[in-house]
Amino acid sequence: MFFSLLSRRCEHLPLRVSATSVRYSGRKEVLSDPQKEILRRVLYPANIRNRPSPVGSWRPDVSRVLQRAIPSVQAHETIERAWLLHKRHTRWKRNAELERKFECMRNAMAELEVADPRSFTEANRPEDPRARSVVEVELTKSLRGPERRAVEARIRGLFPREIRPPPDTPPTGGWNYDWKPIVPPTVS
Amino acid sequence: MLPRRPALQAVRSLATEVGAANNTLHAPTPPLSTTKSAVTRSKPLLEAAVIVNRSPTITRSPSRFEKTFFQYQSRIARALHNPFPYEFYFKQGSPLEAQFNIEERSRERQAFGRLTRTMWDTTEANLEAAKLAKEEVGKRATRFTEADKRKDLRSLDRRGERNLYLVTKSEDSSWSFPRAAIRKGEFLHQTAERALYPHCGVNVDTWLVGRKPIGLYKPAEPTEGHERLVFFYKMHILAGQVEPNGSSAVDFAWLTKEEIKGYVEREYWRGVKDMLSDS
Repeated sequence: MFFSLLSRRCEHLPLRVSATSVRYSGRKEVLSDPQKEILRRVLYPANIRNRPSPVGSWRPDVSRVLQRAIPSVQAHETIERAWLLHKRHTRWKRNAELERKFECMRNAMAELEVADPRSFTEANRPEDPRARSVVEVELTKSLRGPERRAVEARIRGLFPREIRPPPDTPPTGGWNYDWKPIVPPTVS
Repeated sequence: MLPRRPALQAVRSLATEVGAANNTLHAPTPPLSTTKSAVTRSKPLLEAAVIVNRSPTITRSPSRFEKTFFQYQSRIARALHNPFPYEFYFKQGSPLEAQFNIEERSRERQAFGRLTRTMWDTTEANLEAAKLAKEEVGKRATRFTEADKRKDLRSLDRRGERNLYLVTKSEDSSWSFPRAAIRKGEFLHQTAERALYPHCGVNVDTWLVGRKPIGLYKPAEPTEGHERLVFFYKMHILAGQVEPNGSSAVDFAWLTKEEIKGYVEREYWRGVKDMLSDS
């Protein structure tokens, strides 16, 4: 991430952040509306290092804090290598798991082909999410209100929108245990 | 090696009917036959079992190494980043600004230790105002939930980071994934959709993933002279809770992969473990 900072070339020089050639001073008098002044300062910050507040291109004690943050060149490189190794190992583990799952699936499909060719063909048939069978069209015509919405919400061939990336904390209400189907499935 | 039946070849010759994905799954593995001869081999009984999965509800917590690395990178970023336009976001002299300054100072101290030069305005008046204006942030749910504390195996709030799978206990006290036998004229994925409701009630919002099975279990001893094949299908639970009917399904539990190992039979576990997620 921050490799360039500790390149071999600069090792013998004292730790310094590069200085820009442009130096513009801050305005002293308030000519216009303070809101506009604030916006101007945000967009075009003064970079003369003579103020305690860090409004400018860099913070005033950047060298010192950077030396605090990074122990040494060797330490930084070791940390980077350890991180890449960790990433590699997680990647291998994840790929190995996916491979095991796929192998199970492949084997199951091979067995299904022999055991029930009709189901096998049906499983391999490509699904078009936009396609509607005659039965489904008739059904949607007859339904109204929440039933119709429930049937139309779940599109065959697409993931339901309730499957979403997880957040950092669970929902405040917890899991929804009180769900009741709008269109109850036939249990036989 | 069994001779290929002509009906199969007729089905496979229609390339348009069978999708591109089929090619990778089309490996001609010879069907595993038992000691029975080819002539007297009976047709296997097909069953569809359903692996109901509750996906993780919260993000994975970082390991100790990951956390330390992120803190290290944050320190470097904090040293090098372009300054934050404080006066744009906080009105000068406001209690919110004072609150932010206090928090920033503690964050700086945490990152770099005590430095002689402080850059944040922490005058007495501001500190007072900040204390007055301090509001209780709305309580957010914790990652380690009540269900985790109680170790309630039937709860769907437990183990938010992990994938939970439904196992049911049948009347002979064996734990397994809910299953149903195929009916005449039915496709196997339809059997899978049907497998859950008779045992576990209808008050569950579920979604079957595709129409292909994710795995297979073949018990070593064929029951009643017929070979039994159990095809597993993946299903997601999105809302609701399972209600066992008391007869075919006596009890249920939502378990992680390693917990299932302690519940199901050893042979069953060997057939099933590779379909489940480690994390």
